[in-house]
Amino acid sequence: MGITAVPMLLSLYLSFTNYDALSDFSAVEWIGLDNYREMFTADASFWHAVRVTVTFALIAVPLKLAAALGVALLLNRAFRGVGLFRGLFYLPSLLGGSVALAIVWVNMFNRDGAFNSLLGLFGIEGAPWVNDPRFALETLMALAIWQFGAPMVIFLAGLKQIPVELYEAASVDGAGPWRQFRAVTLPMLSPVIFFNLVLETINGFQGFTSAFVLSNGTGGPVDSTLMYTLNLYIKGFTELRMGYASALAWVFLVAIALITVVLFSTGRFWVHYADGEDR
Amino acid sequence: MHRAPSSRAVEPTTRHHRTAFSGPGLRRRLLAALVAIPLALAAAACGDDGGDSAADPNKPVELSIFWWGAEGRAKLTEDALALYTKKHPNVTFKKTWQANQGYFDKLATLTAGGDAPDIFQIDDNYLTEYASRNVTLDLTSYKDGGKLDVSKFPESLVNYGIVDGKMAGVAFGENTQGLVFNKTLLDKFKLPAPTTGMTWADFITWAENVSKTAKVPGTQDPSADYKAFWVWLRQQGKDLYKDKALGFTEQDVAGWFELWKGARDRGATPTADVIHEGNVTDISKQLVVTGKASTSWVWANQMPELKKNTKDELGVVAYPGDPSAQWARASMYFSVFRGSEHKDIAVDVINFLSNDPEAAAVLGTDRGLPSNLDIRKAVSSTVSDANMKVAIQVQTELGAKFGASPQVPLKGHSKVRAELIKAAEEVQFGRQTPAEAAKAYFAIAQAAIGQA
Repeated sequence: MGITAVPMLLSLYLSFTNYDALSDFSAVEWIGLDNYREMFTADASFWHAVRVTVTFALIAVPLKLAAALGVALLLNRAFRGVGLFRGLFYLPSLLGGSVALAIVWVNMFNRDGAFNSLLGLFGIEGAPWVNDPRFALETLMALAIWQFGAPMVIFLAGLKQIPVELYEAASVDGAGPWRQFRAVTLPMLSPVIFFNLVLETINGFQGFTSAFVLSNGTGGPVDSTLMYTLNLYIKGFTELRMGYASALAWVFLVAIALITVVLFSTGRFWVHYADGEDR
Repeated sequence: MHRAPSSRAVEPTTRHHRTAFSGPGLRRRLLAALVAIPLALAAAACGDDGGDSAADPNKPVELSIFWWGAEGRAKLTEDALALYTKKHPNVTFKKTWQANQGYFDKLATLTAGGDAPDIFQIDDNYLTEYASRNVTLDLTSYKDGGKLDVSKFPESLVNYGIVDGKMAGVAFGENTQGLVFNKTLLDKFKLPAPTTGMTWADFITWAENVSKTAKVPGTQDPSADYKAFWVWLRQQGKDLYKDKALGFTEQDVAGWFELWKGARDRGATPTADVIHEGNVTDISKQLVVTGKASTSWVWANQMPELKKNTKDELGVVAYPGDPSAQWARASMYFSVFRGSEHKDIAVDVINFLSNDPEAAAVLGTDRGLPSNLDIRKAVSSTVSDANMKVAIQVQTELGAKFGASPQVPLKGHSKVRAELIKAAEEVQFGRQTPAEAAKAYFAIAQAAIGQA
């Protein structure tokens, strides 16, 4: 308890100061809401980082969940080697936020990387994806989406829980595969979808490692990958403005909490719990 | 564009809040309580090495020392420190080292925790940041008292460690800007090598010619590179900093960006995305090494490291323009933590590493040319490593043409550097004109150093 609470309270305090990490604590001055005021009214990099992060989350999270669900549906049947395929699709997310993976990704999407060689086979000339401000963020999104293994495994477990009788009954009633998916699979799976959505949204907003590696800790090329957490790191460590960085962290915490609350409140309208009365 | 108001701008409001909240006592106590807990824990954890080391000169002492570098440097440094322990058996070292990337994050974190190493390596990008916040011990009294001998150092190197009148670091090695070219490639196409003293216009024409003949871009575009910009400014009679302000104008930045826009348009440089690859600080990714350009803009003491990453033969000359705009730069410093419990011994260790012939022979030119000129001479005559030999020769040649050192960069310099990369890339990717980027950059750079 103390291990979490004390640093958190200290950081909340510091967010109202001009703390710079290096000076003695005696030099720390209370500056009231100045950090917060600067953030919202004067700091262009703050709003830019918010835009980058929201764009990233809005695109990467739904696509990642869609990919996870799609592959889970394909792998939710018995055929030879299904275990192997499940393992292979899960593998990328085991590597998680690893630095090594991000480095490999950057090299793959260079101008002379593997991806462009592949495009070359079809006579397409690729762009210098990671080194071009127009595509750098998209490259990071692709990396995030590719790591759909974790939600996929959870979807698979959820799919196994859906009673076979429901599908049998549906098909007796003349429902085709699409109809079955819409009327049986989706509602029955909705608690799992909801769980994955909340987790992945939070994950998406917190993306740091890949952006850090791709841009060497700068958010470049020209701020195109300046994720919120990366901006926070730059303010704290490169510019040594720890007080300001603490303020950024608290705003971030509140924003994520709000987003989670919003997700939960929409959940009432589309999440069906099997043991609830709305079955 | 409004950005980060300077600390100066914040001060008046600070005072205002103080009266408005009217409870500084309470806040002080709250802060004291919050700070006291981790500090008390830290003190409890290392309670036994307190006390005054000066009382008993033979009392066992462990000094912590922290530096960045590769394995080779670690080996040399450990050997040199072992020599010190041999002479002073009561002094041992807790040695920590790591790659340059992340080094300053770690150092800031240790310092924030009140646990900075007794001795640490630092460079001119950060020296003022640390010195102006009173992290480094002022070494002036040691120098005056004869406990720290810098009498054999070139004067400019000693001065390059002084911040606001305090001696914040001891220059540990000298280097200067070096324009590195791929000799193998140029020879293959029978192209002339660039020369020290050629004008910027001649150099760009030369690079354009290389691009056309060798089909490898003639030069990395250095418009994002503060050290190239800095040399160029000094040749115009300007500087990066002057006293507490920027030493250049918005028009200077625009002129610099224009110069390189012209070079890019003529095909003297690679495309923007390749330039961006070269803008990262990682030495192994410099374009002259990856074969994506024929020249790169580096520090001369990085030559051995560059050579490790390519089979081609490399050459080095000064940056274009009048070479007297270049200076003997401290490649790095050793500083002592002001809160160290063994300040005297820490200073003595730095003195030993700088001036003891035996230790210097071990350390060689790994950190740049030794600052002590006697030792530099001795090391130069005995060195056997071929890469080191070249590095010494080159720096000695360039060194003969140096002018006076500029002042040490101001607090906020790391941001001034980072934002130059951003602004230059805005122009390189064609998203802003040189004038637009220069205007935005100038405002941000001013705010970064707290210039009103």
